[in-house]
Amino acid sequence: MIQLPFTLAEPDGFSLWERFTFAALTLTSAALFWRRFGPILQRILHSRKDADFRLAPVGRRVWEFVWEVLCQSKVIRQRPLPGLAHALVFWGFCAFAVVTLNHFAYGLGLGFLSPDGWVGRCYFYLAAVFATACAGGILGLFVRRFAVRPRWLGAKLSYESGFIALLIFALMATYLAAFFVADGSPAARALWWAHTLTLLVFLPIIPHTKHLHLVLSPATVFLSRGGFSRIPALAGDEDFGLVAGTDLTRLVSLQAYSCVECGRCMEHCPAANTGKVLNPKEIVLGLRGYLNEYGPASAEPLLGKYNRQEAVFQCTTCGACEFQCPVGIEHLPIMVGLRRGAVNTGTWEDEHGAKLFLALERGSNALGMSATERDKFIQKQELPIFDGTQEYCLWLGCMGGYDPKGREIVADFARVMRYLGTSFGVLRKEKCTGDPVRRLGNDLLFEQLAQANLEALAQNKVKKIVSICPHCVRTIAEDWKQYGTPPEIEHHSEFLARHLSRLPRAAEKETVVYHDPCYLGRYRDVFEEPRKVVAQAGELVEAPRSHERSFCCGAGGGLAFLGEEQGERVSQVRAAELAATGAKTVGTACPFCNSMFRDALAAGGEGAPQLLDIAQLTARNLPAGGAG
Amino acid sequence: MKIVVAIKQVPERDAPLRIDAAGKWIEEADLQWAMNESDAYALEEALQLKEKHGGEVVVLSAGPERVGSTIREALAKGADRGIHVDCDNPAQWDALGMARLLAEAIRGESPDLVLTGLQSDDLGLGQTGVIVAELLGLPHASLILHVEKTDAGLKVKRELEEGWFQEIELPVPAVLTIQSGGNKLRYATLMGIKRAKTKEVRRVTAAELGVASNAVVALERIAVPQKQKSTQMLTGSPKDVAATLVEKLKFEVRVL
Repeated sequence: MIQLPFTLAEPDGFSLWERFTFAALTLTSAALFWRRFGPILQRILHSRKDADFRLAPVGRRVWEFVWEVLCQSKVIRQRPLPGLAHALVFWGFCAFAVVTLNHFAYGLGLGFLSPDGWVGRCYFYLAAVFATACAGGILGLFVRRFAVRPRWLGAKLSYESGFIALLIFALMATYLAAFFVADGSPAARALWWAHTLTLLVFLPIIPHTKHLHLVLSPATVFLSRGGFSRIPALAGDEDFGLVAGTDLTRLVSLQAYSCVECGRCMEHCPAANTGKVLNPKEIVLGLRGYLNEYGPASAEPLLGKYNRQEAVFQCTTCGACEFQCPVGIEHLPIMVGLRRGAVNTGTWEDEHGAKLFLALERGSNALGMSATERDKFIQKQELPIFDGTQEYCLWLGCMGGYDPKGREIVADFARVMRYLGTSFGVLRKEKCTGDPVRRLGNDLLFEQLAQANLEALAQNKVKKIVSICPHCVRTIAEDWKQYGTPPEIEHHSEFLARHLSRLPRAAEKETVVYHDPCYLGRYRDVFEEPRKVVAQAGELVEAPRSHERSFCCGAGGGLAFLGEEQGERVSQVRAAELAATGAKTVGTACPFCNSMFRDALAAGGEGAPQLLDIAQLTARNLPAGGAG
Repeated sequence: MKIVVAIKQVPERDAPLRIDAAGKWIEEADLQWAMNESDAYALEEALQLKEKHGGEVVVLSAGPERVGSTIREALAKGADRGIHVDCDNPAQWDALGMARLLAEAIRGESPDLVLTGLQSDDLGLGQTGVIVAELLGLPHASLILHVEKTDAGLKVKRELEEGWFQEIELPVPAVLTIQSGGNKLRYATLMGIKRAKTKEVRRVTAAELGVASNAVVALERIAVPQKQKSTQMLTGSPKDVAATLVEKLKFEVRVL
């Protein structure tokens, strides 16, 4: 047998007095932990049940748990350096769990891993490797928090985090040091006690600080609703969304207590980055504050002391926060839930919001125009009416049917479809899909619009829809499911990418910077198709923030229809970023992004890049006149 | 203050209208219906008065079954109860007949105030509210943008032409016809709709009110406006062309 130079040193037995002290301290520590954690658990469990919660499919949950929690995929990928440091700490803890268990068992004379045995020896070596990495990781995180001080960790230094880091470091140091002292020596005893005391101090601190995520976030990730921005159906006649404590569901309460305050949501939030009141982190912490003060049985409004209505209505629902969150918090159902609470009970009073709602109560489109304007456009472009014989129903949407630029996109896309010989038709009558009212939390209107449209589509026997608007696509494909079975739908980028081989390439390739629309990218996971289309028509340039990290144009969440923004305009920040790439053209795939950038780029004056949808980029390479 | 708001249900603004076979009315099948716009403002004014001074808002509408949805909408927005006067063919009733129906329904309520829209979006006669006042023998004022309750009765703001306004005082009970745009309309909420389900809607028939149609005005024919498109080329010096253009825009097209 190979003799390794050193192994973990342990004290040789404990006196009765030592054992008694150890047991008493352990019980005290556990009691202190429970005194704080017990009520938190009660608040979560006493929250309303999530009516639509299903454990199945378990496969998805297990996979997310393995990939996001065990592999720390999101933690690392979205912030590589601190993410890796965190992963080292996390993996260290995992490897350390058995060591800690054995450590306590040993204190009671029940140690199951012996440093003399083969298994024990190997495991302790393995744990030592992890402990070294963990100590390195926590040191890195300490330096980041107290020396680098990124803005999203908050202006105030968190000394509790410093103390925790110190404890973790001490845990690892006392463990590693035990390899360098003689077994059974007084030094081994001292190290054992130091390690024990550190652990016993650490335990009760967990539920008092954001380190509660150690306990909760694995469950939060496992139990999350999944999908993206999955907004639960209202449960029964008395559910109007998140109005008061009694409306908080277990998932929402669990998520509120899981926040680790890393600030990734805030780092990527278009509102928080342009001087608005909204900070997604504060929304979640606000709910936690509410639960701590009032509890889940309270009738006290959720929008009041802890969260402001103004903030909730500044959200563009871009979903960067939900995408970024490493502990499984689903911000969009919370944000939309709070809006539902305010709108469904009529407490949200906003001139522009009411105007939008009334336009959709009385008319057909979010732009508040007469439906005959759409008819005129259809006639002018000679768009065929869908009669059940064509392959596709071309869904115009409010922007495609009424907005001048949106109409250009539709016209160009129709040209491409004609060139390809794909048969399509438009509905004689179409209502708004309800996207803006869905995101603003008006369930009454959303239901009316979804049902009217579903009925019209069924009557016309529509099987396949294609649309130029990611908002329409998302709302039809996902949100309408609550009220029926929508036909298959795809975004025109998906359609175009599939037919690229039959479409002409650009003779001269100009640079095009592509902007990922939130509702196409993060919401639908379509990133590559529009890029392929752009690459065929020009030379693709990437913006600094792209793909899943794309920065919103400012239009989503119904905000395109609300009044002037507070602070900087989101659209101008993004347009400046796109223009700064030096690309000749800004390529979009959403008529709302297009409309926002149109104004923002125009404000930039001379020399601004031109702005084209991917359908227009494709159409301009078609031979003039006639089908191919 | 007890307020009765008389509301008419009209075809939705975007509804495509087709003239029926007899040429005397529109095809009602497949039409979408909505609350008449100025009636919506009358309701809003009533709700605001109730919120300020307390009392009750009763919404009143005459028409076939379909009118029920508009009454529900008013209840959802905050009216306390509804009266639905059953009449199957509202096109058979002229303004006088309709006013008689409404007046009889209102009489039983003895309200402090009756509000209704200035005119309907479909026929646009602008008479019904005024005749109701006459039939009830109550003071009335039309084109009202704002109502204020005073110790003596009401102070109201009327819209006159060319941006002029008139403020007048009148005693209650009174009848006011409301102009669109004086307030901001509230949107319908899910909670309102759910709460409205339990609110009372009383149905009465014309016979129970003791009113017969006896129309004195009959609709002879309705027609879709003829679209005309014509182009005139103006020639001459820019100065002359501009002057002629202004003249034509002012007096021929009347858009300036």
